[in-house]
Amino acid sequence: MSVSTTGSFDRRRFLTVSAGAAFAATALPGCAASVDDGSSDGDTKAGSKTLTVMSSEDEKKELQTVGKALGIKINFVARDETKLNAMLAAKNPPDVVRGLGAVETPYFAARGLMTDLDPYFAKSSVLKPSDIDPVNDVWRYDGKKQGAGPRYGLAKDYSQDQMLWYRTDLFEAAKLDLLSETEPLSYDELLELGKKLTKRRLGKVKVYGLSASGLGTFSQLMGMTASTGGSVFAEDLASVDFSSPEALKALEWYLEYARADIGPNVANPNPDGWDWPTYQAGRMAIASDGYWFGGAIGGDPKVAEVSRFAPAPQLGSNRISPCFGATGYWIPKDAKNKDAAWKFFEYFFGGKAAEERAAGGWGIPSLKSLRSKMPQAQPYQKQAFKVQEQELEHFSVLTFTPYAQLAALDGVISKVLPKAIKGKASAGKAADELNKLMNEQIAKGKELVG
Amino acid sequence: MSTSQLTEQAAGAGASSSPSRPAGPARRPASLRARRARAFYVFTVPWVLGFLALTAFPLGYALWLSFTNADGLSQNSRFVGLDNYREVFSDPETMSSLWRTGVFTAVTVPLTIVAGLLLAVLVNQPIRARGLFRTLLYLPAVVPPVGAALTFKLIFDRDSGAANGALDLAGINGVTWLVDPYARWVLIVLTLWGVGNGMIISLAGLQDIPKELNEAARVDGASPWQSFSRITLPLLSPVIFFQVVTGIIGSLQTFMPLLIALDPTPKGVSSVPESNYFYMINVFAQYFANGRYGYASALLWVLFAIICVVTFLIFKLSKGAVFYSVEPEQAKPKARTIGGSR
Repeated sequence: MSVSTTGSFDRRRFLTVSAGAAFAATALPGCAASVDDGSSDGDTKAGSKTLTVMSSEDEKKELQTVGKALGIKINFVARDETKLNAMLAAKNPPDVVRGLGAVETPYFAARGLMTDLDPYFAKSSVLKPSDIDPVNDVWRYDGKKQGAGPRYGLAKDYSQDQMLWYRTDLFEAAKLDLLSETEPLSYDELLELGKKLTKRRLGKVKVYGLSASGLGTFSQLMGMTASTGGSVFAEDLASVDFSSPEALKALEWYLEYARADIGPNVANPNPDGWDWPTYQAGRMAIASDGYWFGGAIGGDPKVAEVSRFAPAPQLGSNRISPCFGATGYWIPKDAKNKDAAWKFFEYFFGGKAAEERAAGGWGIPSLKSLRSKMPQAQPYQKQAFKVQEQELEHFSVLTFTPYAQLAALDGVISKVLPKAIKGKASAGKAADELNKLMNEQIAKGKELVG
Repeated sequence: MSTSQLTEQAAGAGASSSPSRPAGPARRPASLRARRARAFYVFTVPWVLGFLALTAFPLGYALWLSFTNADGLSQNSRFVGLDNYREVFSDPETMSSLWRTGVFTAVTVPLTIVAGLLLAVLVNQPIRARGLFRTLLYLPAVVPPVGAALTFKLIFDRDSGAANGALDLAGINGVTWLVDPYARWVLIVLTLWGVGNGMIISLAGLQDIPKELNEAARVDGASPWQSFSRITLPLLSPVIFFQVVTGIIGSLQTFMPLLIALDPTPKGVSSVPESNYFYMINVFAQYFANGRYGYASALLWVLFAIICVVTFLIFKLSKGAVFYSVEPEQAKPKARTIGGSR
């Protein structure tokens, strides 16, 4: 029996209509995004402006407070690199994004994804270039190197990340002298100290003597190499060379540190993901973490009482003390509410929010005028402030490659170094392997950036 | 009276009740079959739309990406033909991650199915507090994977974990569980932790087997093992087959190592030990750490093809090993058989 199909769907028509509707559903948000030319001053839904900010959960409250002060509704998006990539690719990015200026600026700027903030700075009465701390040079990129060219972002605060925090109670228990506040240790001295401070029982480490790479192994090796006068990256940033005498020296030190098993390393990562819980529990004597770590210390009076700050150790004679993070914010090129984003910048970096942040001790403020707000009430804060002030003159910008992300290079390290740590490969062979794998990554990135 | 007979009757009645009405398809009331077809399409539209927008479109987009060197962000990406696919089969890292994933699948799928079946048989016995045991055994499967991974990470931490604490009490040196070569074993144990899912499925299958069959076998002198292997297992084979297929597909796509690293971010990939660096971890790393969207998309398409082939082979090989009490294609009742023969 034949069945009339008039007035009802046949399968083909049904699938065609469904496909059209599905495609429309997928494509429409993209069209909506492309309609906005980026010149509008915020979403005016319900009469109030909305600013989409991608940041970390711990800053959510502060961001909401900033939003209230500015009369802007903050649409908070939790920091997620995968989501950020997807939003940038869809040309529908957040208005303001939290990032690590030291290692992310070249990558995003070279791909034309960041807004040049120079015109905004030129007009601003709050954020004056003369007041901006030199650390913010990590947020500049001229197409060839960091530290020059347009400003693409601003650090909310920063630290010199190879400086050391240490626990005096563990030093005293090991009958060791406290560290100098002015003279840096050599890395060999630091390794010896770490070995002496480490306590073990039945194959387990009860107290780690030293955590040597708080902000990642690649950054650590980069800083160590720079202190010998060398560089991991070639001048054109299109390759790495761990086989150079300077980089190899840094690599050999790291392998010795990891083999000594005196602190978290790529073959035995810290299960907490960062040093604070172990340090707070009295199970870590020295942490290479920079001034920001003092913010965490300030939350525990007992730990604060026994914590002191020391200069960044040096592998060579070229004394430097770099910053690997300079965490701050940037405005994507395709952001829709750039003017509102800049208002956010001015209040967040130069207004009351910035003053409160400076007093929190979680980093050196981004504006020189706010340095006096840094906490000095407690003895450990006073000591840390003094050491930090002296260390600033050794600050330098280390240029990162625009052709690869830090996670990719750290990923290579975590593949190659464990074998060398277990003695299955020499430092030279590990260096060759690192060069090969990292340079392949970088070459692929260079092909796209040009 | 069958549905088709009713349909024909209804159509005939409709036609005979209005003989003077000009014959025109527009005025003819829709037949039952047409109405049912329309209802079917209306109810399936949400799924079809979802499938097209969230599966078909991304699959097609990923296929297109797989022929480019796109990084998702740069404007300079270009068509590279089959280069990405050639690289998939020549990249030692990809091949070893595929091999590891295959071994993991070959070990964990039978283990979880056998363990789930054993537990199901146990809690199917007429024992006291049976409901409580069922609940307790199923509970770990309810815990979100991230929670389970966190628990395992704490238990197996070298310096402060309970596993080494127990070894410590016995005066034995601690073990670095979460790095190679032990990390793979921790992952297998973590996978077995969710065995309650398989237990519930097998238990449902067991309860569907008529008791009379086992009783008759016992009367005929069959031992408990004969009864289990000749009656229970064959009748349970569709349920086991289901678990094999879904288990293999799930294992080939496993993302668990990144969860146990407790940092499902591009940075977290670097803390996954080599022995747990599975295919999907490699895909994630290529997408988001290395920014190689084109290559990662090719990896996904290769995995998709592998899963299709594996599933096809399982279905082919299962013929003669899976015994349905109802023919799946025709859905017509069939006499229950033992061993698949009438």
